Amino acid sequence: MFYFFIRHYLELYLHILVVDDQALNCTLLKFMLEQESHTVFCVSNGKEAVEQFTDINPDIVLLDVMMPIMDGFEAAPLIKKQVSDVYLPIIFITALDDQRSLTRCLEVGGDDFISKPFDKIILSAKIKAHSRTRELSQKSFEQKKLLEFHQNEVQREHEIVEHIFKNALIEHLNVPDIIDYHLSPASMFNGDLFLVSPSPIGGLYIMLGDFTGHGLAAAIGALPTSKIFYSMAHKGLTVGEIATELNNMLADLLPGHMFCAASILELNKTGRSVNAWLGGLPDGYILDEIGQVKRELESQHMALGILESYEFEDNIVHFEVENTDRILVFTDGIIEASDTNDDFFGEERVLEIMSGSKQAKIGDVVNAVKDFSGDIEQQDDLSLALIHCKATPLPDDEPRSFSQIPMTFTVKLKHEQLKASDPVVQFVDLVCSIEGASEHRSNLFLLLSEAYNNALDHGILGLNSQGKDTEEGFYEYYEQRAEALSQLNSGSLDFTAFYQPDNQTVLFTIEDSGDGFCTTHRHHADNKTHSHGRGLGLMEEIATSISYNDIGNKININYCLNERATNT
Amino acid sequence: MSLNKNFSSDGKLFTIQIKGKFDFNLVQAFRSAYSEIGDKTPKVIIDLRETDYMDSSALGMLLNMKKSLGDSVSSIQIANCRPQIKKILQISRFDKKFDID
Repeated sequence: MFYFFIRHYLELYLHILVVDDQALNCTLLKFMLEQESHTVFCVSNGKEAVEQFTDINPDIVLLDVMMPIMDGFEAAPLIKKQVSDVYLPIIFITALDDQRSLTRCLEVGGDDFISKPFDKIILSAKIKAHSRTRELSQKSFEQKKLLEFHQNEVQREHEIVEHIFKNALIEHLNVPDIIDYHLSPASMFNGDLFLVSPSPIGGLYIMLGDFTGHGLAAAIGALPTSKIFYSMAHKGLTVGEIATELNNMLADLLPGHMFCAASILELNKTGRSVNAWLGGLPDGYILDEIGQVKRELESQHMALGILESYEFEDNIVHFEVENTDRILVFTDGIIEASDTNDDFFGEERVLEIMSGSKQAKIGDVVNAVKDFSGDIEQQDDLSLALIHCKATPLPDDEPRSFSQIPMTFTVKLKHEQLKASDPVVQFVDLVCSIEGASEHRSNLFLLLSEAYNNALDHGILGLNSQGKDTEEGFYEYYEQRAEALSQLNSGSLDFTAFYQPDNQTVLFTIEDSGDGFCTTHRHHADNKTHSHGRGLGLMEEIATSISYNDIGNKININYCLNERATNT
Repeated sequence: MSLNKNFSSDGKLFTIQIKGKFDFNLVQAFRSAYSEIGDKTPKVIIDLRETDYMDSSALGMLLNMKKSLGDSVSSIQIANCRPQIKKILQISRFDKKFDID
């Protein structure tokens, strides 16, 4: 398409349509224009001109006023109507010298006049002048087309990117009574990001980040940042670990001059304790109930994405808060918003607003910044968040389902394997392959670990727990155990797990090759101060039931999967 | 299974984080971790956010730590327990001896 226009306006020779009912005028104009190497088409009235206009596709129209069938006044607007994008000069051929008729020529769309008799020099000058104007018009039309094309392209790309950003950054976490925040990007894309995620152990992770600059270039780092943040938050990792991972990723990804100032906070489930990694953002604040500053949260580290992994520091600050406290964090866009005198909005104004009223909200600060800046265009992304230090309960339990198939697992360990391995976690993994068992992992581990270690320590190794009460005795016990285990040259241990789908219960048995213990000397389960003997009490609380065989070398443990793992 | 330890920037908080399995296999590592506590009487946090498994030997280790540290720390908190781990601590009445958040 553009090739056509380029060829067309570079051509010096024009297509000229002459519309005149007098053959003499046509011949004369044709002769003079062809001398200048233009191509001339002649028609004898307005109607023919209108009808043949598209086929001829002229660059300039010379139009007589008085003609039969359709005169020039009527034809001019009809011709102009057929061209919209590029200037088409219509030059009226006229002998008229009365002002009214000339005015009418202009009103109907005429651009110029050429009067009879024709003067070759004037004609040539007018043709050249109008063809230059048409050329410019054509150029600008082409550029407009190109621009539109690129604009559409950019818009389409932005829409795609915007869609990706939206999906990447937003987790549908709705905690309005805890988090009050505002983000306003200086352009379509935000170089600031604010992420909130629940923790699997209750509580919330919150991250406010500010990438160098603003716009798409700044926003691009937000994608991997949010992915890593959410995935680590879902695993319940520490803010130090999250910061380390983000730093390493951003250091690899971003060009040298770009980085991300960030505060990463973890509010625990009681809402009373906060861990924070603070790198490069302006000071945050702990505000009390009435908005007075209780503590400043001063940046401890360089922004993310600058230091190499061996230089990076994951130290955090930890502080206790009241449930009525709020944590205020913001990016420099807020405090560096300027007014017409180039004064900054500043932290004092932010704190003044927050202490002005118990009900002061983020929106109040945002409005004050807007009033302050007045008509000045927003220079940087503005972001701030107020986090109410309230308790956040655990997310709801998901509905559960259980395997319908009865299963039995058996593991037989000889002394070589008892020496070389610590198989309890493998037992647990085996049992957790039963659908519905996985959420009980920790409980199953406890039961199997206690049973296994009792069988191994006392049944097979013949160790005695007495003496474990003192600190030194405790450590000595484990040294003796390691020693005895290394010298073990006989003995075996059988583990079975039998799953019954009708009552969703797993029966475990652990049988050792030892002589068994006298069940009347069982360890004191409720012992609260001694460092041993606690295991059995725990097992009895967590298992559905526990029994032993007569000689005490075999324990049976029933555990029902269809109870919440944390019911007590 | 691993153990990380960390002093906060101001030296007032000492965190021991245990990942995976907390049992007698960590006896030495755990003991040597809290032996570095120094004389600044920091607060100690045992961060169990990534502790999947725990048995009675871990309870013994915690009690020994408490006895051993005595007044050389301002407090010992067991933090960020997953629900089943917290239940184990509650059954063992550890909430009477430790600050469990």
